[in-house]
Order: sequence, then structure tokens, then C-alpha cells
Amino acid sequence: MILPPLVINVRVYEADKTDFHLWLPLFLLWPLLLVILALVLVVTLLVDFVSFISGNRYRHFTLLVLNSLLLLAAVRGTHAHVNKPNTLVDVDIY
Amino acid sequence: MTEDRKRILGLLAEGKITADEADSLLDALGSSAGEPSPASASRTADWPKGPSATGAPKFMYVKITGKDTVDVKVPLGLLRAGLKLTSLIPPQAMDQINDSMGEHGMSFDFNNLKPEDIEELISSLREMEVNIDTNEGDNVRVFCA
Repeated sequence: MILPPLVINVRVYEADKTDFHLWLPLFLLWPLLLVILALVLVVTLLVDFVSFISGNRYRHFTLLVLNSLLLLAAVRGTHAHVNKPNTLVDVDIY
Repeated sequence: MTEDRKRILGLLAEGKITADEADSLLDALGSSAGEPSPASASRTADWPKGPSATGAPKFMYVKITGKDTVDVKVPLGLLRAGLKLTSLIPPQAMDQINDSMGEHGMSFDFNNLKPEDIEELISSLREMEVNIDTNEGDNVRVFCA
């Protein structure tokens, strides 16, 4: 089962300048996204059906939306750590 | 060993500074030279040191060590999902993408990519390893595991 990203953790630290820390709980946004997705899927299914009836060769808008979500889910597990003198950047997507 | 380290140890050998002073100077040198913080080092402790010998790779790793330390881990599922998505892009948009890529010197037609090619491509990445040593003493490694 492919799980979407649940939390994004970003930290940017520059000595004596910046100490930015963001912990974003994405799992709180997923219910909202599900509602939007349901509405979008209704529209894409309708468009695909009309394309099918009218004989249009391209009728993959629903698959396009679903695969875009898969692409979003695949971001989970990305980590980037940069450690320079006096600078630290951490990006973690869990 | 860097020149600064040699100088500090030289001062210690000459008796101009004490062992404690040398220790604190070396510590300061280490932290300013971009050594990974303990937290950062522990995060990457379980990362593989090289390409995996068997099985399909799951992540692409980019590791830069030297003056700066960079550790990047990217899921190969992202590549898989991205390439699958390209097969669903409307033909008109795909033609525009191919034209734009061609203008930038990348004559590559995504329409020719089939799902089995994607799996073969990702499987082949297991054998890929880039290892670069720069004149500045940095080491860049890219591999999949």
C-alpha cells in the first residue's frame, strides 16, 4: 500500500542569522484533499465519458489525476541534509 | 590533515598552548569545517554505504563529503510514478514538452517509454555508481540501493 506523505520537516539554520524550523503535519490536510479529489474525479469521469462518446482518442483525465496523486505519494521518504560551515539545511518528508 | 590542524598540533608540540587549549581549538576547527552535526550523522547512519548487490533499488543516494556535507535520499518510486504519468499526458501537451526538450538539446520522446522499460531502467540503476574526487578534497558519490 502506498501511503502519502504524512509529515514534512524543514529546518534552515544560519549562524547568527536564521533559525527556521517548520514541522508540517500533512496528514491533517488529507481529509480536505480527499473531498476535493472526490469532486475532481466526478468531473474527470464525466469528461472521459463525453470524450468516449464523442470518439476522442484521449480519455485518460481520471487516470492522469490518480497518477498525479501517486506521484505526490512517491515523494514520501525524501531526505536532504546539507551541512556547510555555519549553515544547516534539513528537509525530511515522512 | 589540514594546515590548521598541523599548526595547532605544532603549537602544542612547541609547548605554546596546553593540551586543553589544543583540544578546544581542534573542536572549533571541526565544527567550522562543516563536519556533520551528531543529529545529522545519526539520521544518515542507517543509509547504505554503496550500491546494493541484489534486488531492485529503492532509493537514489547523493553524498558529498569534504568541506561541505550533503546527504540526499530520493525514492526511485518518484521516478517510476513520474515516468508513468508522462504516458498519460495529453498528446498535444506531450508534443510541446518534447519540442521544448529538443530545443534544450534533449531529443528524447517520452511516448516511446513503455512500463516494462521503466522497470528495466530502474533495475539497471542498481549497477550505476558515480564517484568523483575533486581537487578541493570533496568526494561526490551517487548510487542507488
